[in-house]
Amino acid sequence: MKSTMATMTVSLCGLSLLIGAALAGVDSLTREPIAKARENMRNEAIAEVLPDFDNAPSAQAIYTEDGQTIFPAFLSGRNVGAAVETYSDNGFSGRFTVLVGLDTLGCVTGYKVLSHTETPGLGERMCTWFSEAGTTHDIRGKNAPFGVRADGGDIDAITGATISSRAFLEAVNRAVETVANHIDELNEISQ
Amino acid sequence: MSSACLSRCSTVCTPAKVMLEYLSIIFSAILVNNIVFAQFLGICPFIGVSKNLESAFGMSMAVTFVMAVATAVTWLLQHYVLLPLGLVYIQTIAFILVIAVLVQMLEIIMKKISPALYAALGVFLPLITTNCAVLGVAIIVAQKDFGLMHSVVYAVATAIGFGLALTLFAAIRTQLALSDVPRSMRGVPIALIVAGILAMAFMGFTGITIA
Amino acid sequence: MKALGIIFDGIVKRNPTFVLILGMCPTLGTTSSAMTGMSMGLATLFVLICSNVAISLIKNIVPDKVRIPVFIVVIASFVTMLQMVMQAYLPSLYATLGIFIPLIVVNCILLGRAEAFASKNGVLLSLCDGVGVGIGFTIALTILGAVREILGTGAVFGYQLYSADFGALIFVLAPGAFIVLGLLIALFNRLYAR
Repeated sequence: MKSTMATMTVSLCGLSLLIGAALAGVDSLTREPIAKARENMRNEAIAEVLPDFDNAPSAQAIYTEDGQTIFPAFLSGRNVGAAVETYSDNGFSGRFTVLVGLDTLGCVTGYKVLSHTETPGLGERMCTWFSEAGTTHDIRGKNAPFGVRADGGDIDAITGATISSRAFLEAVNRAVETVANHIDELNEISQ
Repeated sequence: MSSACLSRCSTVCTPAKVMLEYLSIIFSAILVNNIVFAQFLGICPFIGVSKNLESAFGMSMAVTFVMAVATAVTWLLQHYVLLPLGLVYIQTIAFILVIAVLVQMLEIIMKKISPALYAALGVFLPLITTNCAVLGVAIIVAQKDFGLMHSVVYAVATAIGFGLALTLFAAIRTQLALSDVPRSMRGVPIALIVAGILAMAFMGFTGITIA
Repeated sequence: MKALGIIFDGIVKRNPTFVLILGMCPTLGTTSSAMTGMSMGLATLFVLICSNVAISLIKNIVPDKVRIPVFIVVIASFVTMLQMVMQAYLPSLYATLGIFIPLIVVNCILLGRAEAFASKNGVLLSLCDGVGVGIGFTIALTILGAVREILGTGAVFGYQLYSADFGALIFVLAPGAFIVLGLLIALFNRLYAR
């Protein structure tokens, strides 16, 4: 088609309107499924790190000023623990986020690394290293504060990835500290 | 990389601290997280324009300008139009249109100011529109929620990193053109392997931080 | 039949990764495993088919001077639709592929095929071209991802072929991407020496 001012303007405007309408349509169809999918991913992660619960932790989440989130868990109205979405900025390649599950005594029940940019084969091993059953570096069932053996603590760091290990344990310690700081708020929340 | 000063200002921000944070961003963007060797963005022009040093240099300059201005404009668009109106889902289209318009404007300006440079860059100028690095940086900055100054510094530093990668590569390729390369490997394959070795060298910067 | 010939061309003679050398960014960035490589290829295939068909339909009513911006906007709108659908129904895959999904917009393959084929041919042929080139891209990405994953971690598609301790980690990292792709293109050149 010839490129006159008229044809160019008309075709561009017409196309923009058509595309705008189509996208608005798809957006209205997917807005709810997207929110639901996000919610599901979060709840699945929480279920992975905590023992059984029957409430909706995301609905009763406590957001702290330093960017962490506490998800309290209840079973039949009784508090069984909390999952804390925490972080560390001292990873080998910067910031990573971890979801730490704690029971009512402050012992670790499980964890899940949510996002990280650590080196595969080294720092990345923190995703499973600290929950390997029967080893000296399994932090489940143990109490904070955690430290690597090089710093005088009891936990064996990942071979060749001391910095990532240190940062990971720092994140777990931070999670425990956050729950302690917000223990009053947690006690106020009931089913 | 701590950005407490630049994003939230919940700590006391002395000029020295802010300078150190910017230095950290620049160092990280150019060397540690180099856009080509660590993030895999901007590869198409990387292979296409790096055959000689002059066009490599010219392309880097053009990309730096487009990246800086595009990041600033898309940041404003994101924070004053898309977010308030809840239209974040058209981010991709809006950003690419901004970039396309900017490149068009750059072409017109360059034709008037420096016809020689315009002729030298030739067909590569409109290609900046499809440079994944430009759109990539705009999206990264929007996702990480940087402040405006932080974003522009990050964009300029990234572009410098791109230029560094491009220039290094062009220098090596001019040498490579004089070498005896097996027939199947000539051109793109040997260039990619050289790029891989360069990427290995840049991996040496992993984990280094300033602040 | 001409249509089948076009599909076959897209896979071999005009393979976007090994022959046309287009779309390098996602090729290197999403192939650290065979699964992510294949997913990226399929996502691009979807957008390629939609954009080729759409552009072939409107090719006669688009003024010549504005055709490139129009093509870009059409491609961008399909990518946005893909983004929204993936976020809703495939959230973990969307998170893995990350920034490379919106970057499909600037994937040179799409604009290249729109300009070279879809704007000059009928709808059925453009559809076939999209299918062929898309499948070629998917196959290339899957092969690259599989090679990198096997050499780097000893696994492919979740099956552990040998212990991960014997894997050469470099292949899963950045340099490995460049090197394996370079060698694969050289191999392709050797096999189809012209």
